[in-house]
Amino acid sequence: MPAPSRQSARTAESIAFLILLSLLSSAGMIFTSPRPRHMEVDDIGARSDKRFAQLKAHLPANGVIGYIGETGDSALPDYYLTQYALAPLVVDRSAHRAIVIGNFPHTLPSEIPSDLKLVQDFENGVLLFAGKETK
Amino acid sequence: MAIALAAVICLTSGYLLIRFGWPDSQPAFSLRVMKLSLAGGFGIGISSITFFLARMVGTDRFAVWDIALLVLVCTLQYLARPRPSAGFKAKAVNDFEFPGWLRPILAAAFVFALLAAFYSTTTRAITHPHGNGWDAFAIWNLHARFLFLGGRHWRDGFSALIPWSHPDYPLLLPAATARFWSYAGIDSPMVPAALGLVFTFSTLALLVSSLFQLRGSNAALLAGIALSATPFLAEHGAAQYADVPLSFFILAVIVLLHFGSDPGPETQSRRLNRRWTLAGAGAGFAAWTKNEGLLFLAALFLAFCLFSMTKPWKNSAGGLPDRGRCLLPPAVLGAAPILAIIAWFKGSVATAGDLLSAPELMIHRILTPGRYGIILRWYAKEFLRFGSWWIVPGTVLLVAFYFLVRTKEAEREPLLRVSVTALTLTLAGYFMIYLITPLDLYWHLRFSLNRLFLQLWPATIFLFFLFVGRRTPLNNLKMSPELAENHPETVAKLGSPT
Repeated sequence: MPAPSRQSARTAESIAFLILLSLLSSAGMIFTSPRPRHMEVDDIGARSDKRFAQLKAHLPANGVIGYIGETGDSALPDYYLTQYALAPLVVDRSAHRAIVIGNFPHTLPSEIPSDLKLVQDFENGVLLFAGKETK
Repeated sequence: MAIALAAVICLTSGYLLIRFGWPDSQPAFSLRVMKLSLAGGFGIGISSITFFLARMVGTDRFAVWDIALLVLVCTLQYLARPRPSAGFKAKAVNDFEFPGWLRPILAAAFVFALLAAFYSTTTRAITHPHGNGWDAFAIWNLHARFLFLGGRHWRDGFSALIPWSHPDYPLLLPAATARFWSYAGIDSPMVPAALGLVFTFSTLALLVSSLFQLRGSNAALLAGIALSATPFLAEHGAAQYADVPLSFFILAVIVLLHFGSDPGPETQSRRLNRRWTLAGAGAGFAAWTKNEGLLFLAALFLAFCLFSMTKPWKNSAGGLPDRGRCLLPPAVLGAAPILAIIAWFKGSVATAGDLLSAPELMIHRILTPGRYGIILRWYAKEFLRFGSWWIVPGTVLLVAFYFLVRTKEAEREPLLRVSVTALTLTLAGYFMIYLITPLDLYWHLRFSLNRLFLQLWPATIFLFFLFVGRRTPLNNLKMSPELAENHPETVAKLGSPT
C-alpha cells in the first residue's frame, strides 16, 4: 500500500496562505453586503404592482392589451415592470389594441396617438385608453 | 401553514426519491447531509413537474397531485426496496495530509467562509425581495405569475408577443415557485427568495458532504471554502435567477455519477444501478431548469459515448471493472420522463427562441473569424476575474493550489475523463452560442458569461478537490468475499480481499 502523500511544512504554509487569501474574499463579502441596521429594501416590483393595482380592476382577467410609454433609458424596464404587474394579461408593446394602457411615471405625453381615446387617468402616470384592434 | 405543508411534501418526495435510488440502512452523518441536500433540490424538481402536469391537464387541485405523487414514491420504494449495500463501499481515499496546526485553521476558515456566505446571501435576499436584476421579474417570476394567476390561460405567458421574456426557457424554477404560491394563495416574493437560498446552500452542502465521503475532511473543507468564498455565488443565490439551481443540478449529476461507480448489490448482479438513474434524473432536472442544462445533458451523453464504448472501466473509487455502456441505460431511464415533458413544453407551449431563427445569418457569423477572437479573449478575461473575488481570483488560487499538491502519478479515471469532457463540451457549447448569437456580441458576453461560468463552478471545484494530488488508490480497494468469488479476474489484479 503506498504511503499517503504528506505535504511538507513549506507546502502547508503555502496552503495556509491560499486559505487566507480566500478568506479576504469572504471578509469582502461581509463588507459589501447590506448592513442589517441600514437596509434599504429595493421594492421596485412591489411599488410597480401598487401603481397598477387600481388599473387592474378596469382590465379583463386575461387576454392581450396594448401599451404605450415614455422613451429613453427607462422605457424598457418600465415596460417589463408593467408586464410583471399585469400578468396574466399579455402586454403587447403596441397601440393597436382594443385596450391600451399608458405608462408615464416621469412625464405625461404632450400628445397621444390619434386613434386612442382616453378612458381614465389614474393620476400616477397610469392611463387607460380605448383603441382600435388592428391585429 | 399551507406553505409549510407544501415544503414538507416537497422535501419528503425528494428524500424518498433519493432513498429509492440510494437505500442505506445506517448512513454516516456526512452521507445523511448529502442525501438531504440532494433531496431539497430533487424535491423542488419533482414538485415543479407535478405542478406543470396539473397545469397541463387543466386542474387546480395541486395538493391532490402532490399527495398522489407521494403515495406513488412510497409504494415504489416499498416494492423495489433492495437489500442493504454490501461489497464495495465508497471510502475516502488519499485525503490531503496536513500537519496538525493547519487542521484547526482549515476548520475555522470554513466556518468563517460559510457564515460570511450565509450573511451575504440572506441580507441580499432581504434587500432585493423581487430579485436582483431584470431577469428575475422579466423572465423567471413573470413565468411563475402566468402559471399561478393564469388559470386555464397560463399558456398566454409563453406568447410570441413578449419574446423578450424568453418563452422557450424551461420551467423548473417558475413552476416550483407557482406551486408554493398556489398553496399560500398569494404570489409572495418570499417564495422565490427562499428557493434561491435553498439551492445555494444545498449546493454548498452537497459539495462538502460528497467530498467528505469520497476524499476526506481536508479536501471537503477546502472545497467548501473555495465555493463559500466566491462572492458571485452569494450575489446570485439571492438574485432569483436560474443559474444557481442549474449549478446545483450539474454538481448533483457529477456527484451521483461518482457515487454510482461505487456499486451496491444492483451492479453486482448487473441490474439497474439506481444511483445512475438518479444521475439521469438530475440531468433531466438540469435541462428543465435552463436551456444550458439541455446543452450539459447533450455534452454528458456525448462524453459517455466517447469513453464508454471502448475499454472496460476500472474505477479507483471503489468500483468494479465494467463497461461504461452498461451504466448508460439506467441514466437514460432517469432522464427520459423529464425530457418527454420538456419536449412537450417546447413543442406545444413555448414559442421558439431567437437563437436559431436566421440560418443564413448564423452561417455568416460562424464564418466571421473576428468573433472567435473576441469570445476567446472574454473567456480568458473571465477566467481571471470570475467570481468577483477580492485581490486574487479563485481560479488563480486553484491553479496555485494545484502546483502545490500535484502528484506525478495523477489518475486517469474513466469517470474523471467523462466528467471533465462533459464540462469542457458544455463550455464549448457556450462558445458556439456566442458565435451564433443574434444579440450584440459584447453585450451578450458582458451580461451572461460570468453566469455561465457560475453554472459549472461547483462541479469544477468538486472534480478538482476529488482528484488533484490524489495517488492511484487501486491498491487501497477492499473487496467483500462474495464479490471476490464472483470476480476472479479482479482479484487477480488487485489481490485477495483482506
